[in-house]
Order: sequence, then structure tokens, then C-alpha cells
Amino acid sequence: MLRFDGVSFHRGPEKVISDVSFEIRAGEFAALLGENGAGKSTLCRLSNGLLKPSSGRVTVCGDDTARTRTSVIARNAGFLFQNPDRQLCQNTVLGEIVFGLEHVVSDRAERERRAGEMLAAFSLDGGRDPFGMSRGERQQVALASILARKPRMLILDEPTTGLDYRECMTIMGVVSRLNAEGTTILMVSHDMEVTADFAERALVLSGGRLIADGPVRRIMRDVKTLDEASLLPAQIPALAVSLGGVFSDAFTVDDMTALVERANATRGEAAR
Amino acid sequence: MSGFLSYMRGDSILHRLNPLTKLVMSVSLCASCFITNRHGVVAGIIAFNLLMAYSAGGLGRSLVMSASFGKLALVLFALQVFFVRDGNVILSLPLNIYVTDRGALFSSLFALRLVAAAMPLAVVLSATRMSDISNALVRYLNMPYKYTFVLTTAMRFIPIFSEEMAGIVEAQTARGVEFDTKNFFKKIRLLLPLCVPLLISSVRKIEGSAISAELRGFNLRTRESGYKTYGFAPRDAAMLVCCAVIALAAKI
Ligand SMILES: Nc1ncnc2c1ncn2[C@@H]1O[C@H](COP(=O)(O)OP(=O)(O)O)[C@@H](O)[C@H]1O
Ligand SMILES: [Mg+2]
Repeated sequence: MLRFDGVSFHRGPEKVISDVSFEIRAGEFAALLGENGAGKSTLCRLSNGLLKPSSGRVTVCGDDTARTRTSVIARNAGFLFQNPDRQLCQNTVLGEIVFGLEHVVSDRAERERRAGEMLAAFSLDGGRDPFGMSRGERQQVALASILARKPRMLILDEPTTGLDYRECMTIMGVVSRLNAEGTTILMVSHDMEVTADFAERALVLSGGRLIADGPVRRIMRDVKTLDEASLLPAQIPALAVSLGGVFSDAFTVDDMTALVERANATRGEAAR
Repeated sequence: MSGFLSYMRGDSILHRLNPLTKLVMSVSLCASCFITNRHGVVAGIIAFNLLMAYSAGGLGRSLVMSASFGKLALVLFALQVFFVRDGNVILSLPLNIYVTDRGALFSSLFALRLVAAAMPLAVVLSATRMSDISNALVRYLNMPYKYTFVLTTAMRFIPIFSEEMAGIVEAQTARGVEFDTKNFFKKIRLLLPLCVPLLISSVRKIEGSAISAELRGFNLRTRESGYKTYGFAPRDAAMLVCCAVIALAAKI
């Protein structure tokens, strides 16, 4: 679905991405982790052809980004930016969603049907002015207008940064439902808890290099790698690593609860 | 493309001149371009500008800028050169189109002037902080601080806006709007709806900085509030004499 082959990217003399290779297969949910300035947003822009690699090759759904226009790639790959305001340009939420569809769906009735679907999915009021809404709601409108196009792949650049817990869960709920229905997801996130809860795979960037790529469960426990990327693991995996022993495999609150209860029970038996 | 007008740090003579000297200098150089009728003087002014840019460490940037102005000048040259009908014909083409010696001289002078006149202000601004210009205007020319503040703020916002616009175009391209089309008119038509987000984000930014300036006592500011003073050194006199000589050369 998305493939990087030895990709480097320079900005002037500075090397922002160096020799990154990975492949994200259809249906995967991958998280891209790394501290500020590690090159995550640059990597996202490389993924949909907004930036072209200085060397190496990026392919999206079989199209080489160096040879395909971004507006064409956009039919397959939806992109949610860190700042939703750059995307919104219509007076109403409904108008905004329909605007995003104008370039893909020629039938007017079909456009309105799809827009209606999206309004329902996010429980948004189609008549409101997006610029009068809160940051989290604007983020949802931007996401809705992208999803209405039914992309096969979704690239999200820090979709939950600056949102409150409920807004974050609305967005992540929609995203994970889409993933369950087969949409491929690449999500940049600072929030290790969100990553641990939703992603299957993690890619770790540090100083423009890909220093780890594997299942989230493994990477959350890889203290050395996380430390190198200046990241803190999610709390339960961190607790699991520091307790060690029988607890070292715990990843979710449920895992940990079960292990603690079992340990308590065995201790009770031993005492008796 | 970024930052033709943005400040370049440095410690050259140009950097150390009094901000007022620099303003007078750029205005007088610019005026000299239009006073003169001789190619040599205009070329000399271009050379003088490049020399200043070189000494301030911004030669590359100013060459890039003159090249882009040069392109525009070339277009204007081509447009004009065919319309001057008097003088001796030096090149004649079919369809009664011809180029005369006067036409060639007149249009080339015009094109050179355009390049030469745009340079001084850009060179000076690249070696001067806007805040120094506004401080000097307030302190020595008694200009109200509010006006100079508006000026410096407007200048400061230009790069911010162009960055914002680039971001908006990027976001719209990523959602499938065909900004990457080769068709110029289509591009313009697509750009129009984007004025909304640009306007909104600009107004938000400006409102934010206005409130924050207000909260930090903007209204209490007087002529004496600036702590910096700008001396008038021999190098300022030398530079002004230089400009006067150029202006004189342009006059005769
Ligand atoms: N428009 C730009 N101009 C110059 N440098 C940039 C620009 N955008 C990003 N960079 C540089 O590229 C590097 C990676 O940035 P970015 O991809 O935005 O990081 P992240 O999203 O991981 O915080 C940073 O060092 C940053 O300074
Ligand atoms: Mg970023």
C-alpha cells in the first residue's frame, strides 16, 4: 500500500530524512513515533507526494510519488494535517464536506448522500460554521471531509494533539472503525497511550532515521530504543517492564489486572 | 524563495550604518536610477548594490532576486522594444515589425532601471532590523510610534502570510484540489476560495498579537521608551557622500 525504498530527503544542506525503508501493507494500523523535529511530518508529506524524495523511491498504491501528482494520489490516500484550519474553506460544515467530494464524485445526489453519512458518523450539525467551532470539532470536520472521499489509506499527522479526552476518543473511534473495515492507517502521535490502545505496529524515527519498526507490543517494551528517541512508553508496559517476572507480558489494564489477581490468589494459597 | 526581505545577521559596514542613513541611501539610489538617462550610471548603481550586498554577505540572495526581476524586465523590454517607431531601423521583421536603435536604447534602459531600482531597498532591509528602522524614525524624525509599529508589523507578517498560504495550498492539494495543474487559469480559479482560510487565520494571528501588545503596555509607549540610540559615524557621512556623487553623476 505504502512503500519507502531507501528514501532520503534534504532541505538545503540539512538531511531531514535519511535512508528510510519500510512497507505498510493494506489494512495495517501503523503509528509513527518520534520527538519533535524527528521528521515525522516530513515523512507524511513524502507519503503523498507533497514532497518528493531527494533519493530513493516512495510508492502509494503502486504509484511512484515522483511521477504522480499529489491531487491524483489524494484519491487513494487521505491526509489529515496537524492544523485543520488550513483545510477548511467553506461557510458550513455540509459545504465543507461536499467541497472535498467535488473533485472525486461527479453526481450531486451521491455527494450529498455521502456527506449526510459523514455528518451522522461524527454527529455533526451540517448547518454550522466551521470557524465558529472548537478546535476539536474543526478537526472532526476536516477528518469527515477527507473520509467522505473513501480513501483506501489514511495518513494522520498528530490527529489528537490539543484535543480533550472525549474529542480524542471520537476521532480514534472513527479511525479504528475504518481500520476494522479495511482502511490502512498511518498515524503520527505523541500520545503513547493512544498508540498503545489503537496501533498494531510502530515505526520509530529519531533524527530522520528509522531506528525501530515492529509490533507496538514489542516496541513499548524496548526501553533502549524509546530512550534513544526520547519517548516514554505507555504506563502499563512501563510498569510491566519494571515489575518483570510474571508481569512482564502485560500490555493492557485488563492483562495487568488478571496477572495481579492471579498473583494474589497464589500468594493466598501459599500462605494457607 | 523564502525571505527576500528577512533580516540577515552580520557585522558588516552596511549592518553598522545608522538606520536613517540606510533609508536615505536606498531612496537616493532608487531616485538616481530614474533621474539618469545613461545606461552606464544605471549599471554602476547595480554594481554598487551588488558590492554592498557582497560586503553584507548576501550576494547570492541578491543575485537570485535580481534574476527574478530580470525576467520581468526582459518581458517588459520585449513588449516595449517593438513600439518605438522613430530612429534608425536596426532589425526588421516581417509584418511591418521592426526595432529601431532608439527603441532598443529606451527599452533596455527601462529594463535596467527596473532591476536597479528594486535592489537598494532589498539590500538595505536584508541588513537592517525593522525594529531599528522604526526606533530611529521615532527617535530622530519624531514619527508617532503607532505608525512605525504598523509598518514594521506589516513587514514582519509578509513571510508569515506566505508560509500560511503555502500551507493552505498544500492542505488543499492533499485533499485532491488540483493545484498541481499546469493550467494557470484553472489554478487562479481554485485559489479564490482559499482566501477565506487565509483571511481567517490572518485575522486570528493579528488579533492575537494586538491583544498581547496591548497587555504589555503598548499604549504607554512614548518617544523616549526606546533604549537604543543610533550614532552618526564617519562611515555614515562617507556613504551619504557616495550616494550624493552617484546622484550628481545621474543628473549630468
Ligand atoms: N518548512 C520548513 N523549512 C525548513 N525546515 C523545516 C521545515 N519543516 C520542517 N523543517 C525541519 O525538518 C525537520 C523535521 O521536521 P518535521 O518533519 O516537521 O518534524 P516532526 O513533525 O517530527 O516534529 C526539523 O529539523 C525541522 O526544523
Ligand atoms: Mg510534525
